[in-house]
Amino acid sequence: MKVAYWPGCVSRGFTPELHGSMELVAPLLDIELVELDRACCTGAGVIAEHNQELADTLNARTFAMAQAVEGADMMMNICSTCQGAQSECQERLDANAEYRAHVNETLSGESLHYEKGITNKHFLWLMVEEIGLDAIAAKVVKPLTGLKVGPFYGCYIVRPTDRLGIDDDNPRDTYLTQLIETLGGTVVDYAGSHKCCGFPIITMNKAASLKQAGRHIGDAIDADADCLVTPCPLCHLNLDLQQPLAQKEVGRDLGLPILHLPQLVGLAFGLEPKALGLSKHVVKPTSVIDWSTSVVAGVGDGGW
Amino acid sequence: MPAHDVLIIGAGLAGQRAALAAAGEGATVAIMSKVHPVRSHSNAAAGGINAALNPDDSWESHAYDTVKGSDYLGDQDAIEIMCREAPDEVLQLEHWGVTFHRNDEGLLGTRAFGGASAARTYYVADITGQALLHVLYEQLMKFHEQIDRYEEWFVTSLLTDDAGNCTGALARNIRDGSIEVFNAKNTILASGGAGQCFKPTTNALICTGDGIAQAYRIGAPLMDMEMIQYHPTTLAGNGILITEGARGEGAHLYNAKGERFMEKYAPNKLELASRDVVSRAEQTEINEGRGFPDGTVALDITKVPRKRTLEALREIVNIGRDFAGVDITREPIHIKPGCHYIMGGVKTDVDGATPIPGLYAAGEVACVSVHGGNRLGANSLLDTLIFGKRSGVHAAHRARTMAMPNASHSRVDDERASIDAIIRRESGGRRISEIKDELGEMMNDKVAVFRDQAGLTEALDIVRRLKEEATGAAVDDRGTVFNQDVLGAIELGYMLDVAETIVMGALERKESRGAQFRLDFPKRNDEEWLKHINIARNGGDEPSISYSPVTMTQWEPQERTY
Amino acid sequence: MPEYTLKIRRYTPETGEAAYWEDFTVDLDGHRSVLDGILQAKDRFDGSIGIRCSCRAAICGSCGVRINGRPGLACHMHLEEAAKRAGDGKIIVEPMGNMPVLKDLIVDMDAVHWKKMRRVTPWLLPDGEPPEREYVVPKESMVDITQTMACIQCGACVSDCLSMEVDPEFIGPAALAKAYRFVGDPRDGQQFERLKDLSEDPHGIYDCTHCFNCIEACPKGVAPMSQIMRLRRISGGDHHIEDRNNGYRHEKAFVKNIEKNGILMEADLLPDSYGGKFHPRAVPELVGSLPVVLTALRRGKVTLKKALIPHKLEGQKSVKKIFDTVHDRDERYELNLYISGTDEEPEHGSERTDSGEDGAAAGTTTAQGSPSSSPPERSPNS
Repeated sequence: MKVAYWPGCVSRGFTPELHGSMELVAPLLDIELVELDRACCTGAGVIAEHNQELADTLNARTFAMAQAVEGADMMMNICSTCQGAQSECQERLDANAEYRAHVNETLSGESLHYEKGITNKHFLWLMVEEIGLDAIAAKVVKPLTGLKVGPFYGCYIVRPTDRLGIDDDNPRDTYLTQLIETLGGTVVDYAGSHKCCGFPIITMNKAASLKQAGRHIGDAIDADADCLVTPCPLCHLNLDLQQPLAQKEVGRDLGLPILHLPQLVGLAFGLEPKALGLSKHVVKPTSVIDWSTSVVAGVGDGGW
Repeated sequence: MPAHDVLIIGAGLAGQRAALAAAGEGATVAIMSKVHPVRSHSNAAAGGINAALNPDDSWESHAYDTVKGSDYLGDQDAIEIMCREAPDEVLQLEHWGVTFHRNDEGLLGTRAFGGASAARTYYVADITGQALLHVLYEQLMKFHEQIDRYEEWFVTSLLTDDAGNCTGALARNIRDGSIEVFNAKNTILASGGAGQCFKPTTNALICTGDGIAQAYRIGAPLMDMEMIQYHPTTLAGNGILITEGARGEGAHLYNAKGERFMEKYAPNKLELASRDVVSRAEQTEINEGRGFPDGTVALDITKVPRKRTLEALREIVNIGRDFAGVDITREPIHIKPGCHYIMGGVKTDVDGATPIPGLYAAGEVACVSVHGGNRLGANSLLDTLIFGKRSGVHAAHRARTMAMPNASHSRVDDERASIDAIIRRESGGRRISEIKDELGEMMNDKVAVFRDQAGLTEALDIVRRLKEEATGAAVDDRGTVFNQDVLGAIELGYMLDVAETIVMGALERKESRGAQFRLDFPKRNDEEWLKHINIARNGGDEPSISYSPVTMTQWEPQERTY
Repeated sequence: MPEYTLKIRRYTPETGEAAYWEDFTVDLDGHRSVLDGILQAKDRFDGSIGIRCSCRAAICGSCGVRINGRPGLACHMHLEEAAKRAGDGKIIVEPMGNMPVLKDLIVDMDAVHWKKMRRVTPWLLPDGEPPEREYVVPKESMVDITQTMACIQCGACVSDCLSMEVDPEFIGPAALAKAYRFVGDPRDGQQFERLKDLSEDPHGIYDCTHCFNCIEACPKGVAPMSQIMRLRRISGGDHHIEDRNNGYRHEKAFVKNIEKNGILMEADLLPDSYGGKFHPRAVPELVGSLPVVLTALRRGKVTLKKALIPHKLEGQKSVKKIFDTVHDRDERYELNLYISGTDEEPEHGSERTDSGEDGAAAGTTTAQGSPSSSPPERSPNS
């Protein structure tokens, strides 16, 4: 399938391994990525906090560009925060024709026009809903046997449920669990899986921010996880980049590797860990890297 | 030991208003409630509050509508006072911050409501009761230094002295089970109605007639107890209320054949006739086989523009969706009449004073009477505020020249002992919930929209039997912290006392008037029955019946059609 | 009738024993509520089960609990729904979080919820004497604050507030939504003072971690987090109040960053949130994050070039133009779906017209569905 691809900001900035691993995994899933290289930041909720119309217009512009991609089946993103921020804007744009017309007027300067009802799916949703877990299972080369993976969704992709289309027919807040199992891994159930990494307040209340990250990582470790997987690079920043400081905040050693979603998929599809950028993480995913085809060693030292 | 000029029991609109009024007069005030004040049932009043604020309107018109609505049983002097003071009260509420709906000029806006000849209902979407209650509570928080709040305290009995004055109350701290004497120069009952005597009912679980029974037990007369309002639009099964505001916005009623039947019963006002008229119309349609299989008729709100529904009837959209699985903007919802309000209650004068010195009552617990045989929609909120205020002011003034009573601590020991006795009852009797269910279902069968001699007589026997059984109903909870079980047993006792007086009143009144419809006496009989029926326990346990005249100022009884 | 098993968290303080689980099996129709189930258990089996409840119709706010780990009103959740999400077939009912448990499902709302509510001075503070008649205020403003007035103080948002979980002093969603009720009320004369107070409180409006739990939890559509964001908008955008949490600065820095670069340049964002690269506030932060930055550089996660030189976005000029156009407006255009609802689908492409007058039922509706004369056959729903 062909998708209008919005990679987000951070995947090209401080978590380049996300962008890189997505590029490697896409062809294996027969996904043609047409990158929206003129599109700008979704605002991550912060621009919407500052001015809703601004956020809505910037994202309408991105949507319009996606809609203009010839032959694209839909738009795809790889960040929980992008998904949430864009869904919020789309909800307003789609709900009110008058407002939409107003926003489209601003876009007309660039000859862009947003048609109501764009399909914008996170890579996680796309895998489960468009490609299908059976098809994915068929492509697994190195099943993640024995790897205990804790899902960490990121707030923006699991709440509010009605805006994100999460219901009994589309239990999107369980997709990571389903995916991990499809890839052969063992899902670790722990308290923090659907909670907040703290990223939004890292400059506003650093202690509270890092306490959240530290606690959830700690809970996962206590539940015997080997690693976490997250579909959000902002969460990745607070959970991986900030893990050394988070450790200090919660007063316990952590050292839990945090994987990006495409990296997990890539490993199961037989791609090399280094190619997937796993060596770029602050918390080295030692256990995952040292694994070949069978059971994985638990999380040990060598976190740094 | 707490001692106050004014002790208010019940923290709904009437109670909170009384507290603010009394404190405003410089009295020391305590307000007590068995639930947190914002949980009071005033919350559920949805539609609005009536006042003749509009310069084109007049309080006389409002008063006349109320008198007519009461089927001429309302005391006209009290009604005049209520309607005359209504405009200022609404303005006072607005000044305190109530977020009333506005018209395009930014002034207070109205909606149409049942039984009114002009649009005079002021509202906040369909959460008027909640908005008023919460804003009053904001003021209580603001004046926390002048008003002592006792939240989650349960009154077990009123205190009297040898001279027969009411001197306060005994109350149990629900949190830890301790009992305290609350001395007070004046006590205002504002504890609401008794809908839980009926099943189903729109009323909350807390509406167990506490204050009515407590006053009754110290000899205060209860008036017009037979007047029970059945609200026309309640959900079958769980009794949840669909506000009259829906009809005010333009919704229609249909039977199963698709006929807009109100054209037959009230050709002018149609769906906005007074509630007893509409309820009887619906029940007739249902009884005569033109209702749906679940014993309901249909309320069609799709007649109202969708945007308006979302703006002004948001709560019913939610209720329809959550409790009936219906999107009211797209399809009709099934409803039937349900027990909703008690016009009767503790007899008071226009200042809320009962014949027992030191005891006042305001709000649904009281019967002044402003509602007579039937209450108009949006008049209840008004009633609570006007008479809450008046009783608060009057009680505060009365307190100025009184000495503080001083009840002995031995009362606490006695009360504790009697509560312990309940807790220690042997199991083996019927469960409280069983007795309560039987009472409620029976009352909803025999003492509902249509009544007759045989049914009422049976009802009285059943109530008396249930009273017996209740004395043996055991509780499971032997603890002290939040023992809701023992409170349930006490509430059951209150409900049975109240139910008994309701049935007695219905039996006594051999005519049909307002909400009371006797199949054996289907006509209104002003000659013999234009009077109030009072029931009181004079000393002993046996209640006695007496009558009191209806005060008439301007309006002679007429034939009542809508 | 179907059976449902409720797994209820019990706690009896007088015994001195720890909390424990107890199962109760009730039989009720699936559309009845979890509260109905609990009350049946209370009526039939154990009258000592403690739960606050009153109206049964989601209006009084008494019965806040956690069902299957999610906060909400017990009277508002159908047994059928709850059973679907139940682990091992048992509907788990626990007391709300973030508040001490008094007994079973009853929590101490006073100690947390009401205490925080009082913190925001929750009563109207008008300027001067009231007018003769009513204050004259725009119709829209009253409709606007109806959303926050709809709060029934149930505590569900407080229960699962993730900021409060790690920072118990956070003023919290319920209180801050209530603060908006006054900030948004034209009759209140203390808009600036309220905002200053709540912004400068380090546990105030900028302490919200933006997790949406409160929006999800609220049974009334109050959307507390959205109200907090409105408070931030007014505080920063209209009054330019500099808070102690760098929240306003962070917001400004982010907006400026995208306005300039189109794609976020993280290296600028951090110092700008504190006031700029060489600002005294920023220096300790930058120094503190040096180890992390060095690690990132070592790992090749970030290159110096990438960090220090902004990425050039094609079409950035158009992005900047959008910023200018929107910033130039006299007033912020804010669409609140709670109030405006969603457009109807017009039939056959016809235009939707607007009504919305007081009580007017003029024929401009686009309400689909049953024609006016006969209600469709519906199966009973009770």
